[in-house]
Amino acid sequence: MLNQIGNYSLYIALLSSILIIIQSSILLNRNNINVSGRIFSLISIQSLMVIISFIALIIAFIISDFSNETVYTNSHTSKPLFYKISGTWGNHEGSLLLWLLVLSIFLLIFTITSKNLSNKYRILTLFFQEIIILGFLLFILFTSNPFMSLFPIPKEGTGLNPILQDPALAIHPPILYLGYVGTSIIFSSSLAALISGSVNKTWAKHIKDWVLVSWIFLSIGILLGSIWAYYELGWGGFWFWDPVENVSLMPWFCLTALFHTILILEKREMFHSWAVILSIATFSLSMSGTFLVRSGILNSIHTFANDPSRGVFILCFLFILITLSIFIYFFYQNKIKNNFTKTYIVSKETAVLVNNLFMMFFLSVVLIGTVYPIFLEVVNNDKISVGPPFYHKLIVPFLIPFLIFMAIGPNLNWIKDKINKINLQQILFFILSIIISFIFLKRVGISYLFSLPLFIASIFLFLITIKDFSVKKTNLSQKISHFGFSLFILSVLVNGVLAKEYSSNMKVGDERKFLNKTIKFESLKVNESKNYQSLEANFKISDKNNSINLKPEVRVYDQPQTITSEADIKSTLYSDNFLVFNILKNDGFYNVRYQIKPFMIWIWISIILISFGGILSIVKKNG
Amino acid sequence: MKIKILVLTIFYLISSFNLSYAANSEKVDQISKNLRCLICQGQSVYDSQSDFALSMKILIQNKIDEGKNDEQIYDFLKNKYGEWIVYDPEINKNTVLLWVLPLILFVFGGILIFRKVSIK
Repeated sequence: MLNQIGNYSLYIALLSSILIIIQSSILLNRNNINVSGRIFSLISIQSLMVIISFIALIIAFIISDFSNETVYTNSHTSKPLFYKISGTWGNHEGSLLLWLLVLSIFLLIFTITSKNLSNKYRILTLFFQEIIILGFLLFILFTSNPFMSLFPIPKEGTGLNPILQDPALAIHPPILYLGYVGTSIIFSSSLAALISGSVNKTWAKHIKDWVLVSWIFLSIGILLGSIWAYYELGWGGFWFWDPVENVSLMPWFCLTALFHTILILEKREMFHSWAVILSIATFSLSMSGTFLVRSGILNSIHTFANDPSRGVFILCFLFILITLSIFIYFFYQNKIKNNFTKTYIVSKETAVLVNNLFMMFFLSVVLIGTVYPIFLEVVNNDKISVGPPFYHKLIVPFLIPFLIFMAIGPNLNWIKDKINKINLQQILFFILSIIISFIFLKRVGISYLFSLPLFIASIFLFLITIKDFSVKKTNLSQKISHFGFSLFILSVLVNGVLAKEYSSNMKVGDERKFLNKTIKFESLKVNESKNYQSLEANFKISDKNNSINLKPEVRVYDQPQTITSEADIKSTLYSDNFLVFNILKNDGFYNVRYQIKPFMIWIWISIILISFGGILSIVKKNG
Repeated sequence: MKIKILVLTIFYLISSFNLSYAANSEKVDQISKNLRCLICQGQSVYDSQSDFALSMKILIQNKIDEGKNDEQIYDFLKNKYGEWIVYDPEINKNTVLLWVLPLILFVFGGILIFRKVSIK
């Protein structure tokens, strides 16, 4: 029953999509374009149908309707309700339906909120957005239908991957998708603006909100993924340069660059073409992300479900979209008003260009590092791994000048600024940061080649962004985001330099000394939960003054049979105590890993601050 | 007296063994962080508790005890398992683009910006 509802509503959505594409092509050929009520009602019907099918899938998961193949392969009656619901998008088919849901709702929102813009631009945006929706509908219906029926109906499902049964991961995909799909509107509207010859101030002002919204969701989505990896994967790190993590970072770099460019376009009517190119690139990267993750060609912890034929479909679709947009770009490029006013080297415009240069560099490092191994394997069958050392070696040296530019740039004036204005105050701060870094590194006893300049640059940025709060000129949301970023870099650095780790095999009752602390394995007990059994250990970490207890778990899930380790983390403002243990084959021994991670919580807080700046900017503008 | 010396020697041996063991195990950690656990999905040897990773760590430990330096150990592993096992690809004709392409892009972009803005 639910399968039928889901299927029918998807087919109706498909039909509306085709009708909208036809209708908008007809409208475009008329001289007097009017966004008629018919198109609007078609879009509403389409959104409604997609919403219905999504709700049908959720209900199928809630009531464990195993006549649905997706539910059968990804759920189990013993799952807690919350994870039954999050199971809806914890699999390939469901997550694509979620993509589609966000696509069509965003289009509806776009249509409603763009009423005061030119009709040609609106219809063109609708047209391109519907092509994307059509592609996704076909993809879902013919390669990854979430409403396949099973007969005879199985009594029990095979369960959801236990490492996905986690609150942060339950909301991570929807948030991330909101970011990814937001870029589709940016893509469609930039092509529309290009064709209708309206890449200008008004467009910049309109699209800025979409850029910000996508950027905020993407940032928070990445944050949630990192937090999850930190406590669930049990390695104590928060970023592993895993291909799938990289894939979400690439559109982020692109969006960050785009946002800064759009600001210039809005204020100074410059960089039109560049803004369009970035818009196209951002969406292409989001789509490639989906392709790379879903095709299964990446060797990654995230490739939960994969199937080559799906990869081929997305690859073709992606190829068509990119070719189409490149074609449109070159065909309509001359419509862009090229009133390039002179830019002086010391100006805000140049600062934004430099920001973009660095963003594109970081993006290229991550992009090349992620896809190069795939190409190499295809070309001459050589398998190589590109991991953290590669990214650190290429990114860290460039981070130093980037941070210094970031400190200076925002304080520059438009058009032309004097060089000597930069000097005095900033030199003072720079000297101060040299002193602070020197004292800090000396006390810690680190003498890496890159550490000193890196610390100087990040402390410099940190001090400048704090100082900037006292300057009235720039806006508050920018100050918060930039301060958040400086805090982020600083926390990551301090965390990296000061983190301490101890690993050992222990039995119950064992005691180990580590630094000035004693780690005692006090007890072990077995707990029964709804769909798993857990082995809960109790460790006492004590030093002279105080002691804390950490209770990590090893869980044995029954559906499907999987063992996971749940770290126990005690966070304070200064540092995290992180402890995780694993079962060893030797009788009675457990592998115990204890880590002290300073300023860990500030990494999360700083990313929230960065995103908060964006939220504030939207609220202020519309409030 | 003899017993005393014997006990002291044994104690010294044990403690020195422990010391060198501690130093070595740090080395093992450092090396195993740069190695891919071949049977896991996107985990390093250091992070993994799989049989493969455990035997890898013992292998690295043995190599260190044999007096091999880092480079010799990496080379040995690359010969045995292929380039796939190391996370830090070396620069050779296969990987030169990987390392150089981003740098070329940066320089190219830099020149482009420099030509657009006026110095005066």
